[in-house]
Amino acid sequence: MNNEQEIMQIIVHGGNARSKALMAVRSSREQDFELADEQIAEAKEAMGIAHKVQTKLIQAETRGEKIEINLLMVHAQDHLMNAMTVVDLAVEMIADKKERVGK
Amino acid sequence: MTKSILLACSGGYSTSMLVERMKKVASEKGVDVVIEATAESSIDTFADSIDVIMLGPQMAHAEKDLKAKYDLPIATIDMMDYGMMNGEKVLNTALKLIEGNQ
Repeated sequence: MNNEQEIMQIIVHGGNARSKALMAVRSSREQDFELADEQIAEAKEAMGIAHKVQTKLIQAETRGEKIEINLLMVHAQDHLMNAMTVVDLAVEMIADKKERVGK
Repeated sequence: MTKSILLACSGGYSTSMLVERMKKVASEKGVDVVIEATAESSIDTFADSIDVIMLGPQMAHAEKDLKAKYDLPIATIDMMDYGMMNGEKVLNTALKLIEGNQ
């Protein structure tokens, strides 16, 4: 896998995590908590994959390998951070919804 | 007639890259097509002049709402195709969706 494809993995899986998390919030609004939990699990799994790629890149840099920083890489970092925030908030929102409907 | 494909993601950046790949394949194959990328919030600007909307995988959650809003074929791009920036496959999928809608 070349550098661009690796960066795209962060974007795709991070983006997928964000999307699943938002779907989970929607499911919880419709009080389908089983589906919401499933979607959160999928979001976390996608987050894990994105993070693994990120870790690999960081470790390579730490070893002294030159990592090219271009706009795409910056964009991938945006995606990753954004996804983490959305997933974290989605978990809180779903828990809150569950409490309010007494589930 | 020239076909028009719109790619949408949250910011429009990564789809722009894919659009360039798709355009390259289209011109190599001589396909008469206009391909553009936009952010989800700007789809309205294009809605009257396009034949299909392809969403970045990070927009999958919006597919349902967008389908309710626009009378157009709308699909989410396969994650693998997106990650590998496979312009040819995404172009073919989009063209098939347009055909299926005619």
